[in-house]
Amino acid sequence: MREKKRYLLVRIDPPFPDPDPKELYFAVVESVTSLFGDAEAARMMPVVITCGSGYAMIRCIRGYEEKARIAIVTLTSVGERRIALHAVATSGTLLALRRKISMLSLISFEVVASLRFRDREYAARRYPCQKVDLHEKGIKSQELLFLTQDDLEES
Amino acid sequence: MDTDACIHPYPAGNSSVRRMAIEAGALGFSGIVVPGEMPGVYQGVHIIPAVLIRENDIRKVTGQIRKHGASGILIFVDAGDTGFNRAVLAQTGVHGIRSIHRIPKNAFDHISARLAHENGIAVEIDLYPLIHERGVSRQRVLNRYNDLMKLHSRFQFPLILSSNACSVLDLRSPEEIRLLCSLFGMNKDDTNQALRTISTLLSPLESVMVVP
Repeated sequence: MREKKRYLLVRIDPPFPDPDPKELYFAVVESVTSLFGDAEAARMMPVVITCGSGYAMIRCIRGYEEKARIAIVTLTSVGERRIALHAVATSGTLLALRRKISMLSLISFEVVASLRFRDREYAARRYPCQKVDLHEKGIKSQELLFLTQDDLEES
Repeated sequence: MDTDACIHPYPAGNSSVRRMAIEAGALGFSGIVVPGEMPGVYQGVHIIPAVLIRENDIRKVTGQIRKHGASGILIFVDAGDTGFNRAVLAQTGVHGIRSIHRIPKNAFDHISARLAHENGIAVEIDLYPLIHERGVSRQRVLNRYNDLMKLHSRFQFPLILSSNACSVLDLRSPEEIRLLCSLFGMNKDDTNQALRTISTLLSPLESVMVVP
């Protein structure tokens, strides 16, 4: 018998670069398994449908969407990269979520190739609402900082 | 006013306090408690200063409380063994006791729970280990919080919820916190109340005094 599904639209933070969908799938499954166990993960059947432009769509069996959302809250990394997922909407059809994405404002940013902050060299992404993400340039340590325009002006 | 009861911005973490305020506001918080920060409002989010006391000796704790008590900021003390917790909960000027998940199993018992209720001292539920730990260590934390909820249902002491976020990536929305809290039997009403406890701690309800 064909089981009913539920689709979750999640926002990826930080939005860029997009995580690899396969790696994201493994991270979601690991979160579900570590929190609820193999048996519940098998019943939930979480799958990453799409991933890109700062959003991902995750499918699960109907009735397990709340547990899927809890597991997503506990997801902290995809591969080596620190990440946070925030559920935006849940729906019974993919079409409804695609409509929802089209209504959401696209995440825009401006790339700054080189920026100095506290005597270190960073590459920066400026988002609207004063947000600035700094990524340290270097081979050994690549520190990631989340600041605001005010912080940069003050330093 | 939904408030995250403790976050650790730059330099302890990788996000500035302003960025934390922006992200917390976007997630649905009206306030964040930041140890060692100046009070203020940034993009509509209240920044509430606090002091975290991490001492094992009650005399040192008393000294710290005396030092910061008059400054009108929130004072949180890290929990310890049974005797220490009872002594801390009997102190005036303490707003909350934290790190309950790190102490021995029965170190926060029914006497501590009653003291917390009588003195209006909040008990912190730290969400960081629930999000970041895996396996046995997370099970232990869940077990500890289950026990805490049993005591809470009996003694009704105030609870506070904190992400202890060191990064904007560690912040969770009030709705996500409600979901997480359901893991250890905390219902929606209790979670909502716990998210608003900070405002109660800042302006506690007192009986009406007749001034002649």
